[in-house]
Amino acid sequence: MSLEIKGLHKHFDNNESATLNDINLEIATGEFVCIVGTSGCGKSTLLNLVAGLDKPTDGEILLDDAPITGPGADRTVMFQEHGLFPWLNVIDNVKFGMKMSGVPKEVQEEKALYYLDMVHLLDCKDYLIHQISGGMRQRVALARALTMDSKILLMDEPFSALDKQTSNQLRTELQRIWMETKRTILFITHSAEEAVYLADRVVVLSAKTGQIADIIPIQLERPRQVYDPDFVNYRHRILDEIKEDSVE
Amino acid sequence: MSIIIFLILLICAWQGIYWIFVDVLEVFKAYALPSPIGVGETFIRLCKNGTLFEATGYSLLRGIEGYAIAVVIGAILGLLIHHFPYLQKNLKPLVLGIQTLPSICWVPFSILWFGLSTEAILFVVVMGTAFSIAISVDNAIKNVLPIYTKAALTMGASKRQLYLHVVLPASLPELITGLKQGWSFAWRALMSGEVMTASIGLGQTLITGRDLADIDQVMLVMIVIVLVGILIDKCIFSVIEKRVLRKRGLIS
Repeated sequence: MSLEIKGLHKHFDNNESATLNDINLEIATGEFVCIVGTSGCGKSTLLNLVAGLDKPTDGEILLDDAPITGPGADRTVMFQEHGLFPWLNVIDNVKFGMKMSGVPKEVQEEKALYYLDMVHLLDCKDYLIHQISGGMRQRVALARALTMDSKILLMDEPFSALDKQTSNQLRTELQRIWMETKRTILFITHSAEEAVYLADRVVVLSAKTGQIADIIPIQLERPRQVYDPDFVNYRHRILDEIKEDSVE
Repeated sequence: MSIIIFLILLICAWQGIYWIFVDVLEVFKAYALPSPIGVGETFIRLCKNGTLFEATGYSLLRGIEGYAIAVVIGAILGLLIHHFPYLQKNLKPLVLGIQTLPSICWVPFSILWFGLSTEAILFVVVMGTAFSIAISVDNAIKNVLPIYTKAALTMGASKRQLYLHVVLPASLPELITGLKQGWSFAWRALMSGEVMTASIGLGQTLITGRDLADIDQVMLVMIVIVLVGILIDKCIFSVIEKRVLRKRGLIS
C-alpha cells in the first residue's frame, strides 16, 4: 500500500458547501490513478492536500502509513504550468531536486542525463527555458519529477495547457515511461480520454457532492489505442458520469 | 549617433542664447549665465590643476561607501518587513512614508550629530537610500511566482534552500531594478550632503563655484554630476540588468 486517504474533508471559509466531502481512496504502489471531474469539483484541491501544500479540514492522508504534514520530496508535483526555473538551463533544472536532497554531483549528472534521454531531450540539455517550446518544457518538468524517486508522483493536469497534438504525444510518452519505470502516479485531468488512456483506475469526483462518484478500473492492455471499441466504451461511460454530475 | 548630433545642436543653441542675451540684448550679466566656451575653459583649468578628478574620485568613493551601507541596512530591513507580518502591516507604511522624504531633510540631523564631516554626508546618503532599498527587497520577494516556491517545496527544499536557490534568483531582476533606483537616490543624497558640509567632492566644487561667482564652474560640476550618474547606470546596472533579463528570455 502506498497512499491512503481516509475520511478527507476540505472546506473553504469563503464557500458554504464542502469542496471535498469524505474522500476515501487507496493507491497501491506502482498504480496509475487518474482523477477526473468537472472544473470546481475539487480535484486540484485533493492533489494539493496530498502534496501537503494545503491542510485538510478533517480526515487524514497516509503515505506508507506515515501521516502527511507538509510538502516533501516523497511527493513531487508536476504542475500544469511547468514550474521550471528560468535562471537555470535545462539540465540544471532537472538536477534541482537532487541538489536539494544532497545527491552526489556525479549521480546528479548521471540521472539527469538518463531521464533527459528518456524524454528525448538530451540534445537540449544546455538550452535555457525560454529557448524551448511548451511541450519540451513539460518534458523537462517530467524528467525533473522522475529524478526525485518519489514514492508517489502527483500530476496536476500537466498536459492541459498544451495544444492537442503535443498533449497526445506527451501522454503517449508518459504511458511508455510508466511502463518502463512503474512509478506510482496520481494524475489529475479534466479529459476522460486522457484518463482512460493512462490510468489503471479512474476516480470520478463529483462537483455536486464533493464526493467520489465512481471508481472505474480500466482493464485494457497497454499500450492502449484510442480507437479500440473498449477504449471508446470506457471513455463514453466516464464522459456520461461527468455530464450527469454537471447537469443541474 | 543621433544623440551626438542632438547634443551638438543643443550646445550651439546654448551658445546662441548666451550671445543674444548677454552680448546683444545685455539682459544678463556675463557672470549670471554660463557659456559653452566658458564651461569648456573651466573644464580644462580644473583638469589641469587636478581639482575635477580629485572631487569626482572623492565623491564616487563616498557615494559607493554610503550606498554599500545603505544596501546592507536596506536589505536587512526589507527581509525583516517581509518575514514578520506585524512589521509588514505596521512598519512598511512608515518606511514608505519616510522614503518620500527628500534626502536634504536629513542634513540638519546629520550636521547636529556628526558635524561638518564625511560621516555626516554618509548619514544623509544612507538615510536617503536605505528605505527605498528595503521597499524594493520586500516587493521583489513578494512578487516571486508561487509556482516556483511550490515546485521547490515538493522537491524537498528546506527554508534556507528555498531562499538561496529560489527566492533570491527569482527576485533578482526586480532586485537589480531596486538597486539601480537606490543608486540614483544615493547619488542625489550625496550631493545634498556634500553641498552642506565641507569635504572635498563635487558638491563642494559646486559651492566653490558659487562663492567665486564662477557660473561656468557651477555649470561644469552639474554636468559632471549628471555624467557620472549616467555612466554608473549604463556601465554597471544596465549591463547586469540586461544580462539577467536576456538569460530569462525577458528581452531579446
